[in-house]
This record gives sequence, structure tokens and C-alpha cells, in this order.
Amino acid sequence: MKGLAKGLTYTLKNMTREKATYHYPEEPLPLPDRFRGIQKFYPEKCIVCNQCVNICPTDCITLTGKKHPDPERKGRIIETYNINFEICILCDLCTEVCPTEAIVMTNNFELAEYSRDEFFKDLQWLDENDTNIRKEN
Amino acid sequence: MVRTEEMLLNVGPQHPSTHGVFRLVVKIDGEIIQEATPVIGYLHRGTEKLAEDLQYTQIIPYTDRMDYLSAMTNNYVICHAVETLMGLEVPEKAEYLRVMAMELGRIASHLVWFGTYLLDIGATSPFLFAFREREAIINLLNELSGARLTFNYMRVGGVKWDAPEGWIDKVREFIPYMRKELEGYHDLVTGNEIFLNRVKGVGTYTKEDALQYSLSGANLRCTGVNYDLRKEEPYSIYDRFDFDVPTEETGDAFARYQVRMAEMEESLKILEQAVEQFPEEGNILGKVPRVIRPPEGEVYVRIESPRGEIGCYIASDGQKEPYRLKFRRPSFYNLQILPKLLKGENMANLVVILGGIDIVLGEVDG
Ligand code: SF4
Ligand code: SF4
Repeated sequence: MKGLAKGLTYTLKNMTREKATYHYPEEPLPLPDRFRGIQKFYPEKCIVCNQCVNICPTDCITLTGKKHPDPERKGRIIETYNINFEICILCDLCTEVCPTEAIVMTNNFELAEYSRDEFFKDLQWLDENDTNIRKEN
Repeated sequence: MVRTEEMLLNVGPQHPSTHGVFRLVVKIDGEIIQEATPVIGYLHRGTEKLAEDLQYTQIIPYTDRMDYLSAMTNNYVICHAVETLMGLEVPEKAEYLRVMAMELGRIASHLVWFGTYLLDIGATSPFLFAFREREAIINLLNELSGARLTFNYMRVGGVKWDAPEGWIDKVREFIPYMRKELEGYHDLVTGNEIFLNRVKGVGTYTKEDALQYSLSGANLRCTGVNYDLRKEEPYSIYDRFDFDVPTEETGDAFARYQVRMAEMEESLKILEQAVEQFPEEGNILGKVPRVIRPPEGEVYVRIESPRGEIGCYIASDGQKEPYRLKFRRPSFYNLQILPKLLKGENMANLVVILGGIDIVLGEVDG
């Protein structure tokens, strides 16, 4: 019985302690800057080097490029850029290899959708995902 | 004597005490288990096969998903294997960060075990307390690596991020806090008469059994074998720290409990020393070629994960991808003794014995 009583004392002491839970979703969850959430894509920065596609372990990035519309300028610009969030594991490797930081991580993590097709995010959606962008990349 | 008919009972694949998808087919005679057959593979993703098509850096996020309660040790074992094969030097600072991350992970993993084990055998509150403390660790690791469970933090030759500002101080503050909480856990659980009655003398096996079944980790040390790879074959910088390897003699579920509880204290000791010795200056990534292409050859390395000996074997043919990759996953080996332990036991002891082994299904199935 001594052991039981000791245990109860511990539980009682904990009743007055500070709460460990958050009022999510009423209050946003505090996350550190490095947190890896859904990517933000800057089409104007992308040089269509394909490094992100090559490093992605789950092959969830597809992109196409086109010639620069200005004939004076060399290089290619991005035409379409899609990430399939059904299989993206938010591993951070694409943002790590991107030489121009065209693709960066944000702290947004809410990825619930009503249909599977909606997990297929295109260039425009990724470009508009511009809140809570990670500072360090 | 009244005899009842034998009956086949499926425990799982969806059963709260398996913490994953694991099925146990038990043949029972009344309350007594005659035979138990584990059925595994529900979570099999073929990590080893997938790895044959992946570059070494790409394999690291996959290892996060094997033993998902202690992803840092998995990260380490693959990086360590490639580094050994290529003969790479890892900067000192990176090693300290790795050790701190791994030891924090070990405590977090044991906390999950502590909480869920007690939940399985009927005590709800320790689970909530354990997860509160685990949350503190997860937050620390989140600040360091950017993820709560699937860290993908280590790289061949070092780590991805340096410690953020003030992180080391937060770890320093965490150590006395955790020590105090551990004392509280002992007050709450260790002396509890009901708990002692449930675990003492249950699921006992001998040193010889443990060795024959190739058990490792706390499952081995609870029988009195003093074997911890951090001491036996010091990897990383573990030879710089002063810590003990807790062992128990009785080999029952209570001994395993005591070993794991004591291991958390030892991890805190290591953390304390690592925080003191942490070099502020230095690189976090060694001299690594841009494309990681280990020479032709084979390598096997092994380290101590919270669940036992985790090993990584790589056969390389000089390409960017491994020719063959194999993980020795401790949960899989530790699980093999389960049918023997369950035979002749009361049905109510099933969860006590299964929980005591501490398996993670992601690791069992690979
Ligand atoms: S985070 Fe990882 S899985 Fe997702 S798109 Fe980038 S590289 Fe691919
Ligand atoms: S790595 Fe960066 S610059 Fe290269 S294609 Fe991907 S997003 Fe564009």
C-alpha cells in the first residue's frame, strides 16, 4: 500500500502544474524556424537544373522548362512544376540541393484534403504558399 | 478436471498493445496459451530493396521510417557504414551533435516504451506523464533537425545543421529537469504493488536463452550479460564519456523495466558530459566528395540502438547506389523469443510479455 500512496502523491502534485497541451487549432502551434513543412516555390528563381528531381527519393517532383522568351537571354525558365504530396515525405533534400533556393521549406504543415487528386500541387499553388517561409535554407 | 476445447484466437493485426500492425495467432486452452505464432509483414515496405535504386543520401530518409521511435540511431548507422567504407573523417563537432541527438532519442524512445507499456498493463497516467517529457525532447530535436520524428538529420560525413542558438543551453537545462521527472516515475510506478505483481517473475528467460536467440539491448542485459556496443566497440566518440551499462540478473519483465529506466539515467550522464565538452567552433560536415561513390567492397557496422544491436551491411560495386544493403534490425531478432515465452502462460500475461520486449513494427518488418 505504501507504493500506491506514493504514486497518488505524485499524481496529485502534478495537478497544479502548468498545462502541457495547446489549444490547437484555435491557437497556432508554435514551431521552430527549421521545421520542414510544405514547400514554397519561386518560379522566377528556378534555372531548370533538375537537381531537385534527381535527388528526390520518392520521385514526386515533375517539372518542364521552356526557352527564355527573350531571345537575347540564354538559359531556360520553368514552365510547369508539380509536387505530388501523396508521396512527398518532406525530407528536405530538394531544398538542400537547389542552387538558387527556388524551392524552400515553409512551416505550414496542414495538408488534409477531401480527395487524393488535391494532393497534386502545381506551380501556382506552390508559388502562392508564401507564409511562414523558413529563414535558414 | 474440467477441460475446455482448444481455441484459435487472433490477437491483432489491429490491437492496441502491438503498437503497430502485428498479428499473433494464439492457441488457447481456457486461459492458458498452448502455442503462439507471430505473423509479421504488415508494415513491410522493402526498404532494403528500395535502397538498391537510391543514392546513399537518399537512403537516409528511408531509415527514419524503420525504427521510427529512434530515427537518429538509424540515421547514424547508415552514415557510419558509408563513412567506414569510404574512410571519411567526421569533424568533432558533428560527432558531438550526433551523440547528443542519439542520446536524446534514446531517452525519448524509452519514454514511449515506459508510457505505453504501463498503458498496456492498465495504468493510464504514466503514459501521459511520459509523453509530456518526451514532448520536451521532441521539441529539442525539432529545433535541431526540423522534424519531430523523421529527422533526416545526419549526412555522410557529418550533420545537416549546426546547433541553433541557445540549443546547447536548452539541453543543459533539460538534464536536471529529466532527472527529477525520472525520480517522480519511480515514485509513481516502481514501488507500486499492483505493477510489481504483474511484472515480477513474468516472461523469465535465462542468459543462455538470450544468447541463443541473439537478443540484444535491454532484452539481453536483463539476464546479467554486460554487453553494450557503446562500450564493447566504441563508435563515434563514446569512448570519451564516463557511463555505466546497467544490468539485472533475474531476466523477467521487471528486470527489463529496471534496465531501461537506468539506461535513461546513463544517457543523461552522457548528455551532461557532451554538453560540457561541446566545441563551439568547427565544421559540421567533413570533406565529402559531391557525389558519394564508395569504392568496391563490403562493410558491416553495428551500433547500440535503444532496442539493441542495429547493424548495416553494404556491398558496393563502386556505383552511386549500393549493390546490396542489409539492416540488422534488433526488434526483428528480439521478437523471435516470443513464442517460447508465451507457451504455458496465462492470456493476461500476453501483453506484459510482448510489451516487455519493446518492438517497433516498422523495424520488425523493414
Ligand atoms: S521534400 Fe523530399 S520527397 Fe518531398 S519533394 Fe522534396 S525531395 Fe521529394
Ligand atoms: S533545383 Fe532549384 S533551380 Fe534546379 S530545377 Fe529544382 S527548383 Fe529549379
